[in-house]
Amino acid sequence: MIKVLLRLPSARIAIGVLLVIAVITLFGPVLAPYDPLQGSDLTLAPPSAQHWLGTDYTGRDVLSRILAGAPLSIVSTLEVAGIALVLGTIPGILSVYLGSIFEWVSLRLIDTLVALPFLVFAVAMTALLGNGITQAMIAVGLLVAPLFYRVARAATLTVAQSQYVEAAVLAGASTGWIVRRHVWAKVLPPIAITLATTLGLGLVVISSLTFLGIGVQPPTPTWGGILASDLDYLPQKAYAPVFPAVIILVTVLAFNMLADAIRDAAGQSGRVLVGARAAKANRARRVAA
Amino acid sequence: MTQAPVVTPAAETVAETHPEDVLVLEDVRIHDDLSDTELVHGVSLRLRRGQVVGIVGESGSGKSLTCRAVLGILPELIEVSGGSITLLGRDAATLTRRDWTALRGAAIGAVFQDPASYLNPSITVGKQLQEVLRVRGGLSRKDAHRRAVELFDSVHLRDPEQVYRQYVHELSGGMLQRVLIAIAISLDPDILIADEATTALDATVQAEILDLLAELTERLGLALVLVSHDLAVVAQLCDEVLVLRDGHVVEQGPTARILHDPQEAYTRLLVAEHEQYGLERYLGTTADAVLPTEELNRV
Amino acid sequence: MRRSRGRRLAVSIGKPLAVFVPVFLLGTFFTFLLGHLSGRSPAYIQLGDAATPEAVAAVEHEWGLDRPFGVQYVDWLGDIFRFDLGESWFNGHSVAEVLLDRAVITLSAAGVALVIGVVAGFALGALAARFHATWVDRAVTGFTTTISVLPPFVVGIALVAVFAVSLDLLPAAGYVPIEAGLGPWLSHLILPAIALSFDTVADVARQLRDGLVSTKRENYVTGALVRGLGPRRIFFVHVLRNGVGPALAVLGLKFPALLGGAVVTEAIFGLSGYGVFATQAAIRGDVPAVQGVLVVSVVLVVLFNLVVNVVLNRLAPAAARGV
Ligand SMILES: Nc1ncnc2c1ncn2[C@@H]1O[C@H](COP(=O)(O)OP(=O)(O)O)[C@@H](O)[C@H]1O
Ligand SMILES: [Mg+2]
Repeated sequence: MIKVLLRLPSARIAIGVLLVIAVITLFGPVLAPYDPLQGSDLTLAPPSAQHWLGTDYTGRDVLSRILAGAPLSIVSTLEVAGIALVLGTIPGILSVYLGSIFEWVSLRLIDTLVALPFLVFAVAMTALLGNGITQAMIAVGLLVAPLFYRVARAATLTVAQSQYVEAAVLAGASTGWIVRRHVWAKVLPPIAITLATTLGLGLVVISSLTFLGIGVQPPTPTWGGILASDLDYLPQKAYAPVFPAVIILVTVLAFNMLADAIRDAAGQSGRVLVGARAAKANRARRVAA
Repeated sequence: MTQAPVVTPAAETVAETHPEDVLVLEDVRIHDDLSDTELVHGVSLRLRRGQVVGIVGESGSGKSLTCRAVLGILPELIEVSGGSITLLGRDAATLTRRDWTALRGAAIGAVFQDPASYLNPSITVGKQLQEVLRVRGGLSRKDAHRRAVELFDSVHLRDPEQVYRQYVHELSGGMLQRVLIAIAISLDPDILIADEATTALDATVQAEILDLLAELTERLGLALVLVSHDLAVVAQLCDEVLVLRDGHVVEQGPTARILHDPQEAYTRLLVAEHEQYGLERYLGTTADAVLPTEELNRV
Repeated sequence: MRRSRGRRLAVSIGKPLAVFVPVFLLGTFFTFLLGHLSGRSPAYIQLGDAATPEAVAAVEHEWGLDRPFGVQYVDWLGDIFRFDLGESWFNGHSVAEVLLDRAVITLSAAGVALVIGVVAGFALGALAARFHATWVDRAVTGFTTTISVLPPFVVGIALVAVFAVSLDLLPAAGYVPIEAGLGPWLSHLILPAIALSFDTVADVARQLRDGLVSTKRENYVTGALVRGLGPRRIFFVHVLRNGVGPALAVLGLKFPALLGGAVVTEAIFGLSGYGVFATQAAIRGDVPAVQGVLVVSVVLVVLFNLVVNVVLNRLAPAAARGV
């Protein structure tokens, strides 16, 4: 499946973008040409050779702030997805096996989490529980967990009810073999799709929270925070939000493209997509020869 | 079945149009553009008011495509590629979308296998009949309702008022087929196409529906195209039978001759198959239809 | 027959109730638990950091916070059913009263966003389905995919930058009650509503397109065609009605996001709805105020979904039955 995935152009673009983001995340603070917290007299300057993306209202270098803000924005996104993965997938799988009471209760809990107005609860939980980035991640992770719960539960249900697993059990296959051979193949692709989707969603939510000043204290650079400060100076510099917005959007888009590509690669259409392209290439080669 | 069957030998395809002919197919060919293959290789038939023509053949032989061509509802990328279809004297090839809409219901109606799927599950069946009467028949809401109940009664649905208010999932297959027949005849069409209309039903219900179709052709002077993979069904009602196999017309002629004196091995096979299931009931005498068993094995 | 129709309506309300009563109870319990876990106390808000333990205990006793958890919870839940959401720890105002004014603003924005979502989503979805597998379909799909990844705060800022600041066509901030006229009211709400609506537009369009395309392949559409009904009638009466289910259902799922999005759009557009109120109260640690917002939003979501369920049931009994 990974081979098919890597042959899809959309997957390659997405992975390429995400690799760049990963580099920014790992080395952003080092790469930053200026101190992201140090202001200067040159306020709200347009892009120039010294300041590629200009400066903000206290004269800080925007590029440096975006680079320095990357770790917090991206790492907390990864942690949100990780928390949601654990909090959703494990109960989702267990709901199939632990009996009807656990099933009913967990389903109602998930219904509830889905029905809660997401951002209001994320804000309330984060702020009330101590207004730190950890609280924010736990709150958002918990609220996103239903996505994983449903996917994991649905996949486990199909596996649990499928005849080939029964047949394998009857044939005396070991549990480990069954899990490797059948369960993984069914459960992993939907989880991978959900994970990619959740990473995009997580970044949006974390950016929204930091935009509102929830979970972080002011001078700390975050992508959402940079947007918020730009908003106040729109009349002076209307294009300023473009830079932080673009990096958020590009990252979210890459995560979503990756999710779609995994969906294509895992499904029936993957082979067709790759096959159609190969057939076209073959014909082109034949015609040229 | 009141009129004497009109003999139309398969070879004699071009004949002058009789004023009583409501449906004439001449060497109709149907082509799938996607796979670039011909699916139906020349079907000809002519049908008069009150007459019943049967199309028999195994599954996939092209019966439904032929019917769909007549109704102007071939699937996407499948087209009539040769021959002509004449509906009430009008060449089907020249009909616009609007002409088709006007013809359907008023000139030609159809019922299919799996009646439940051909009715909207979200609207009561009565409303669906009333809709046709209102929109196409020009009746007022109240008159359409009254007429719908009458029509339900005329197809022998018990308690038509009750049926009127029921949804698809509340009715049995036989009742639904009666509902579909009532809708199909609601605008007094000249032609009714019944494509495997009794296939999914149990034997008794199947017989009842066939009786109903026979009654309607007689009472309303409908011309009926009765399609089935089951020779017994066709034998019971039809004046003329057309045997299809892989899109080819294998044999065509008056029912009595096809049953008593089949010329083609395939037809003989079909007839023989049914002797075991009591086709002789429709054959009258069985003496001259006995087939040697080795003939069967050769087919 | 009348009885059976009544029963159908009862089922259409009863079945979702079985889902939403637990949602309401769990959601409110969750809300209460959150306040409890926060460890916040009115004492620090009122007395400042210099509070002595005795003074804190006195204030907490006054607010009934020294009672057992269960007693406080039951008491609190009972008050909710009497529309009493308690008093703000910050200024002692009745939370229910404050929220009533604020919720009007939030609901107005969410309502306009919902209308935009339904109208634009239905138009785009129907267009894509009508011209299924043509360039129109691909263009609509590309557009909805793009807008679905645009978060409200990015769209909001872009709208302010373009329409309010650069073009100066619409007000950038504030709210005018509807009594002041439909025009001014809408001009203040339209930008936040658009920012909120993108995700809903995209999802409704996608679901409607898929629903309509698969409905068009149903035999009963062939059946309607054969009966001699015209294409327009078939589309509006038979296809739309049955294909609309998933799009309506998604509307129920999107409503919480529209309410929740208020937190961000109200901050951008300077609307003092309950989103901004929730943020301020949460940062101040004003537990009853935050809880009030959460309870109100849970109730709104539950009510909205009940309405969606009834509509769905009336429109397409088959779809609601899960056929
Ligand atoms: N939508 C379609 N696309 C491609 N081929 C079709 C389609 N419908 C029918 N066919 C082909 O046309 C042939 C005749 O089909 P049909 O008329 O439905 O057979 P029958 O009704 O006699 O069982 C079959 O071989 C079938 O594969
Ligand atoms: Mg057929």
